[in-house]
Amino acid sequence: MSGDASAGPASTAESTADGAPGDATAADAEGASGTPSAVDDEPRPATYYHLARAVLYREFLIFVRYPANAIGGIVVSLFFFAALFLGGQLLAGQALADSIEGIVVGYFLWTLSVGAYSSVSNDIGSEVQWGTLERHITTPFGFAPVALLKGVAKVVRTFLTSAVILAVMLLATGTRLSLAPLTVIVVAGLSIVSVLGLGFAAGGVTVLYKRIGNWLNLLQFGFVALISAPVFDLPWTRVLPLAHGSAMLQRVMVDGVRLWEFPLADLALLVAVAVGYLVGGYLVFQLATGRARRLGVLGDY
Amino acid sequence: MARSATSARGGPRERDETDAERGAEPTEGSLGPPALAIEGLTKRFGEGDDAVVAVDDVSLTVERGSVVGLLGPNGAGKTTLIKCALGIVIPDAGSVRVFGNDVRDGRRAAYADVDAMLEGARNDYWRLTVRENLRYFATISGVDPDSVAARHDRLLDRLDLADKADTPVRDLSRGMKQKVSLASVLAGGAELVFLDEPTLGLDVESARTLRAELRRLAAEEGLTIVVSSHDMTTIEAVCDRVVMLSNGRIVADDTVEALLGAAASDAVRVASPDLTPETVERLREAVEVVGVDRDARPPVVTVAAGGDRLYDLTDALRAAGVTVSDIRTVQPDLEEVFLERTGTGLGAAGPGSGGEGS
Repeated sequence: MSGDASAGPASTAESTADGAPGDATAADAEGASGTPSAVDDEPRPATYYHLARAVLYREFLIFVRYPANAIGGIVVSLFFFAALFLGGQLLAGQALADSIEGIVVGYFLWTLSVGAYSSVSNDIGSEVQWGTLERHITTPFGFAPVALLKGVAKVVRTFLTSAVILAVMLLATGTRLSLAPLTVIVVAGLSIVSVLGLGFAAGGVTVLYKRIGNWLNLLQFGFVALISAPVFDLPWTRVLPLAHGSAMLQRVMVDGVRLWEFPLADLALLVAVAVGYLVGGYLVFQLATGRARRLGVLGDY
Repeated sequence: MARSATSARGGPRERDETDAERGAEPTEGSLGPPALAIEGLTKRFGEGDDAVVAVDDVSLTVERGSVVGLLGPNGAGKTTLIKCALGIVIPDAGSVRVFGNDVRDGRRAAYADVDAMLEGARNDYWRLTVRENLRYFATISGVDPDSVAARHDRLLDRLDLADKADTPVRDLSRGMKQKVSLASVLAGGAELVFLDEPTLGLDVESARTLRAELRRLAAEEGLTIVVSSHDMTTIEAVCDRVVMLSNGRIVADDTVEALLGAAASDAVRVASPDLTPETVERLREAVEVVGVDRDARPPVVTVAAGGDRLYDLTDALRAAGVTVSDIRTVQPDLEEVFLERTGTGLGAAGPGSGGEGS
């Protein structure tokens, strides 16, 4: 596909103005076969499109090339669910059977949250270790768009693995849920965006205080409390990450409510919580890396 | 877009047109501002009595196309200086301009043309192949990777990595990994490149190859390179100009030739089994003996014998009945120059050594 890049108006080196998708379309998997003579060796500026392509493609490559990580995560998640389900059956019997739908939905959201949170915070930790974080900070794009795109890539990846987990859970327990894709993806996606913000904050703190990073991973278990927050008895808990989204996702998947059937206020709150925590988490990350730069500990190996 | 194409070397450099913070516009056509202009840079780590001044009022200008070495022991402030220049460390005082753009104010514009290989860092993704890394980091530094595919091929060719282009970096040898790291830094067409201890941890052969390639790249690509090292061999082999740092201050800044020339000794070392205490005494009467090593096998004397005094030396040796087994002039090296200026060797660590503030 990359061969097409030079077939376009390659000579208009500066014509790929800001935001324009340019002619260098699609995946660059075949870049390896490069045909030097056909390519104008005049560097063209990369647009946000190129940046998005590069970041998402890298995530994709690592995902397909190292499937063991993803499969391992799926297996561990299913193991925990099996323990929960079988143990619950022993202890609660019929009571569990009545609430199994809620548990499956909650567990699905939990795996999504843990995936989004830990991939972002661990990713930042790894990048610090590899010395690649600085290179993303000293990019002419600025760190924000790169970080956001990486976050999107992580969320997409997490959706794929959690979908597998959900499918196995449904089959194993014989549960039926409403799986309207658009509604589920929008509601679950916005729910875990708030967790993405927490991941950025934790990643930023890890840059400053490396030892704390491991402890922050324990936060993942706190997500259980957030997902099962009593939003009807204590309405204020809706502004916590995940809580409001979790309640909405239960209605979507258990009661079959569609996106457009929700009151506007519910949707607005879902978006506000997502954006609020994402922006807040990013600000914490910025403050932390700013402090790390003053202290000279950014990129201290 | 926050980038000017790092186009045409020698052609007018087009700066970032959309950056609101656009500052001083470089003069088009002419040489323009220097690649790097550091003024009064100071960075202190820690507070109160524990504070360590890593960089102490350093001013430095690096012209385009030059290869400048930062030489100093661990803890001299080399890495901090580089990190300040990149904006990874924020200085307490002073300014850094990269091609005329202030690193602190107009970071986005400044970052378009600068990249760095930092000490001890992998700098790239080991799980991606060599070429995938080049394409990724070219994009990150603001260049459409398709537009520099040919350049990447050339780069891989030069660094002897063409065969390994589609191999994941983790499967390569250490020396090759280091070269991939270098390639990924050069992939985006940065014109100012910082290399912090590029040969650290490499075996003698890999280090030699890397040095040769650095020299070639600098000459052929017209890059401006700032190399930091505590290893004078690297600096001497690669750089036109040397900036010596000790305890955060510049103690010498000149061309390699000038520094070595100023330190040029007129000493000659003579080795001979006949150099007994008695014959050495006889030599002392005729020439200026500056050093005697009786433990060496055979024993060695060092004699100041510049110019015509060399003939006096040969006469004196004949008169004393010394049969010479080896005679050579003493070549000064940067290590000696450094020693002369600071009183400490390059191997000695300054305060705050051990990585922090180095």
